[in-house]
Amino acid sequence: MKDIITIIIRLTVSCLLAATVIGVTFIFTSNAKKHNEHAKEQQVILELLGYRGDVTVPDSISMHEIYRYIISGQDSQSIGYLVPAGHGEDGGFFFVNIDLNGKLIESKIVDMSEVDSRETEIRDTVMAEAAGPGHVVDFADQTIVVTESGSRIAYLLGGKFQGFKTFINVMLAVDPGFSMVGLEILEHEEDPGLGAEIEQDYFKNQFKGKPFEVLKTIDVVKKPIPAEYLDALNSRLSDEDILEIRNRYRDQDIYALTGATISSKAVSNGVKNIVKKFAYRVTILDNVLQEQQLAVSF
Amino acid sequence: MANDKSGMQLVVNGILSENPIFRLALSMCPAVGISTTVMNGLMLGIAVLFVQVFSSVTISIFKNVIHPRIRIPTYTLTIATWVTVIDLVLAALLPDAYAKMGIFVKLIVAFAIITMRLEMFACKESVKDSFWDGLGMGLGFMVGMVVIGFVRELLGSGAILGYDVLGFKPLLFFILPSAGFFVVGLMMAFFNWIELYYKRSKG
Repeated sequence: MKDIITIIIRLTVSCLLAATVIGVTFIFTSNAKKHNEHAKEQQVILELLGYRGDVTVPDSISMHEIYRYIISGQDSQSIGYLVPAGHGEDGGFFFVNIDLNGKLIESKIVDMSEVDSRETEIRDTVMAEAAGPGHVVDFADQTIVVTESGSRIAYLLGGKFQGFKTFINVMLAVDPGFSMVGLEILEHEEDPGLGAEIEQDYFKNQFKGKPFEVLKTIDVVKKPIPAEYLDALNSRLSDEDILEIRNRYRDQDIYALTGATISSKAVSNGVKNIVKKFAYRVTILDNVLQEQQLAVSF
Repeated sequence: MANDKSGMQLVVNGILSENPIFRLALSMCPAVGISTTVMNGLMLGIAVLFVQVFSSVTISIFKNVIHPRIRIPTYTLTIATWVTVIDLVLAALLPDAYAKMGIFVKLIVAFAIITMRLEMFACKESVKDSFWDGLGMGLGFMVGMVVIGFVRELLGSGAILGYDVLGFKPLLFFILPSAGFFVVGLMMAFFNWIELYYKRSKG
């Protein structure tokens, strides 16, 4: 009996000690970690938009985040959006609730600053309050609308889909006509040397400039990439040549990676689905916003 | 059991005669799964080195108050604590390295080699010796991972540290996990051969 008590006491003390050490480290590092993640995200966004290296972004460019939630009630489901309202930093957000047929259920303004909206917990609470009691809200995804002097120049879409091994996490940029601007692979666990090649330029850049019509039916072909196209994809040519070659291969399917057809297919299908679904959703959202004359920030 | 080896001898011991991968055949799973490139091997090796040293020293400090019946949970707890700390610190200070290493670091909690060294060495020996032993074992693991990674990257991708050296890919097979066993097996044979040779030449 005495043994058991000492064991319990010692284990408890060790656990407490361990918890203290981890807790202290967490307190000291959490801010830096969050900062790094945010900085990384911003960098990916800028690179997707074509600002590589030390290029400063002009002031006329601004970004507006739209959050999409799925609202489930007892016997109904609807889609809830948080859309930044008006101009300026703290214009608050519009809560826009749209049913599955694309009809507006309700829209109202909610009080949340842009900084707060980045905190998942605060945003979820605000959303749950706006949806009202009896409804469950689930975060679906977020989209960034990029504007230059007030007119839209691109949408940034995040997405996750099944790869060969686990999920592949991507971010992609499309222009207002839903043509591809760029693709970035954020996270994946594909095999090094095989599926992991999806993060190489010669694969990623194949998506660049593909028009929406092509993206809708895009597939992979199991053929080696022609030498001139490979040079263009790896940015080994002058900018004009790259553009010219890219245009020539614009309607071509994606060339699959050697030994990684499944990963290649997963990415092209994933991208196809993300863009198709987004194009459908944003049209509905735009219709509603226009009908209701909501003054959103983009 | 008093330890009669000096610090330096303990380190060399960990790298050569008791190399975790090639001689003790411990932690084979990461050795086979992750060592597809030199960089991956090196990254994981560094992380293991830190966890091993910190855990060995911690257990050695507290060896007299750890109840023998609950030593295994205590080891696991110690390792998990250090892994978490290193994970958090890396994420905060070296975000670029963390982006590559992040998924490996969390795996270290389950590495057999660390628990094994705590049980075999750190819970009996002095803090100083445990430090040297942890350092040796960590370095030994790192060397092993880098060597395996070198062979696999060269033969599988035709590159070293991501730089294309061969210009072609000799055998794609070497990148797959199963090829890891072949490489580890060949390395073990090599290390055994060295030992035999050494013993014979000694007389």
